Amino acid sequence: MSGRRIVITSGKGGVGKTTTTVNVGAALAKRGKRVVLVDADIGLRNLDLVLGVEKRIVFDIVEVIEGRCQLRQALIRDKRFESLHMLPAAQTREKESISEEQMKAVIVELAESADFVLIDCPAGIEHGFRSAVAGATEAIVVTTPEVSAIRDADRVVGKLNAERIPLRVIVNRVRPEMVKSGEMMSVEDVCEILSAELLGIVPDDEEVIDTTNRGEPIVLDESKRLATIYDKIARRLGGDVVAFTNLEAPGLIGRLKTLWKAG
Amino acid sequence: MMEAFEEASQASVPVRPLGRAIVVTSGKGGVGKTTTTANVGTALAARGARVVLVDADVGLRNLDIVLGLESRVKFHLLDVLEEKATLDEALVRDKRSETLFLLAAAQTREKEDVDTAAMVALVETLRARFDYVLIDCPAGIEMGFKNAVAGAQHAIVVCTPEVSSVRDADRVVGLLPTDWRPELIVNRLRPQLVKKGKMLSVDDVNAILRLPLLGVIADEPNVIVATNRGEPLALDATSVTGAAYRTIAAKIAGEKLPAPDVRPPSTGIIGKLGSLFGKRG
Ligand SMILES: Nc1ncnc2c1ncn2[C@@H]1O[C@H](COP(=O)(O)OP(=O)(O)O)[C@@H](O)[C@H]1O
Ligand SMILES: Nc1ncnc2c1ncn2[C@@H]1O[C@H](COP(=O)(O)OP(=O)(O)O)[C@@H](O)[C@H]1O
Ligand SMILES: [Mg+2]
Ligand SMILES: [Mg+2]
Repeated sequence: MSGRRIVITSGKGGVGKTTTTVNVGAALAKRGKRVVLVDADIGLRNLDLVLGVEKRIVFDIVEVIEGRCQLRQALIRDKRFESLHMLPAAQTREKESISEEQMKAVIVELAESADFVLIDCPAGIEHGFRSAVAGATEAIVVTTPEVSAIRDADRVVGKLNAERIPLRVIVNRVRPEMVKSGEMMSVEDVCEILSAELLGIVPDDEEVIDTTNRGEPIVLDESKRLATIYDKIARRLGGDVVAFTNLEAPGLIGRLKTLWKAG
Repeated sequence: MMEAFEEASQASVPVRPLGRAIVVTSGKGGVGKTTTTANVGTALAARGARVVLVDADVGLRNLDIVLGLESRVKFHLLDVLEEKATLDEALVRDKRSETLFLLAAAQTREKEDVDTAAMVALVETLRARFDYVLIDCPAGIEMGFKNAVAGAQHAIVVCTPEVSSVRDADRVVGLLPTDWRPELIVNRLRPQLVKKGKMLSVDDVNAILRLPLLGVIADEPNVIVATNRGEPLALDATSVTGAAYRTIAAKIAGEKLPAPDVRPPSTGIIGKLGSLFGKRG
């Protein structure tokens, strides 16, 4: 049976797509799943940095598509997680160098020998977004609890709905103390606005910055709070029912609702 | 609502030189382009300059939210480019400033709908009427980026002290016209983390990018609060970050000021970065 093909997307940049792709992928691999991470951000690749494999890149996805190497030659195996691989994006090429069909063909081929193919989508909703989505049959929409990010996520949810791609939401960089004081939207508010099912809640945690700079997925260190959280997300993705931590509070929903009516 | 603007533009017709069109760009998304555009624009207008902020993030507009103007937007950039509305109909005057205007992006259209030549002509028209045209660039380096850059003469590159952001900024600098000298704003710096060696310092970032430093903005939860409220911090007289934006505006306006003093020494994380930047472009 062929593996699941999931795109990690957001509309807005910098909300944590790459961080999520790497950590959810690593958490799945830790649970013994065969995982391939695909960097679809052609021209602005980052996944290699966050995973810490940037020095080992030999070929990239564009070279695979142009037939200049075999798919398996371009795959990089992670040294820490046996069953984790990644396919790098090209850095000096344009997003237009890959068509939607070509991207889909690569993703489908990868899924033949993986349990999960996670596709790290570029920011925006241009060509790069469309090709990243083309190969996927499911989506994870990452957003932060901020008005701009949610508005952009809403736009992406609309596009995914139109393509009939089922999706769930990860709310990233939540600061419970700000939610309590009414300065940040609650996770409930976010899900209500997006009318989408919740997959995970990830707190804002400065450890992410440090581990990213060092190229070490945070799930490597089980003592880290976020390691547990990404593991829960991995289990939910696999179909387990795992309870959520409760971070609710009344929020800024009033302003948002009028925003949505205004279109 | 447009009175102040019309007065200003009429008075200006005969002698005034064209304003400066500055694109605020980064490559990576979410590093603070829109926040920077809103705050620097607000601070420039507070100095009396006539400023228009152009949201070039067609399909994913945000600038209206950050300025708290979302309910006043009736027409947008594409309406003007496609001559469905006049410029005066589409320009939204800021709530707080007489000389600050927003040209919003379309929310339900695509970046590919923008005609580059028409965009260049529009920026030219705006330069005749305003001292500063600040263009809020979308993330990425696709069509939206190209259109945002097309009409500008100058760029501000926003970068956070993170490896991915630096790499993307470096890529973007390589794509800008070679005769530009883009200026750098390092955003979301946390001096505490830099001291602990857990975050790149401004020097680390600029050892790679090598751009004139326009300013450094700290990471501050108040920025998020201000964004959610639609009130730029640049107007907050008590805020350190607000003051930093006002300093940036003063520099853009040509005042000679010393470089900001938030620059702890290099952290050593840069070793990792160094090997990444063999080639540019
Ligand atoms: N939960 C978190 N807590 C703190 N910082 C985070 C968190 N998630 C992401 N970040 C930071 O935000 C930045 C952007 O994340 P990234 O995954 O690169 O976003 P994207 O891929 O959506 O552009 C990263 O450099 C990372 O340091
Ligand atoms: N100096 C800062 N301190 C804290 N948060 C910031 C700062 N600058 C920006 N942010 C937050 O980061 C998010 C992304 O900023 P934004 O200006 O929308 O980025 P971009 O336009 O580059 O996508 C915003 O929601 C904002 O609240
Ligand atoms: Mg990314
Ligand atoms: Mg923006």
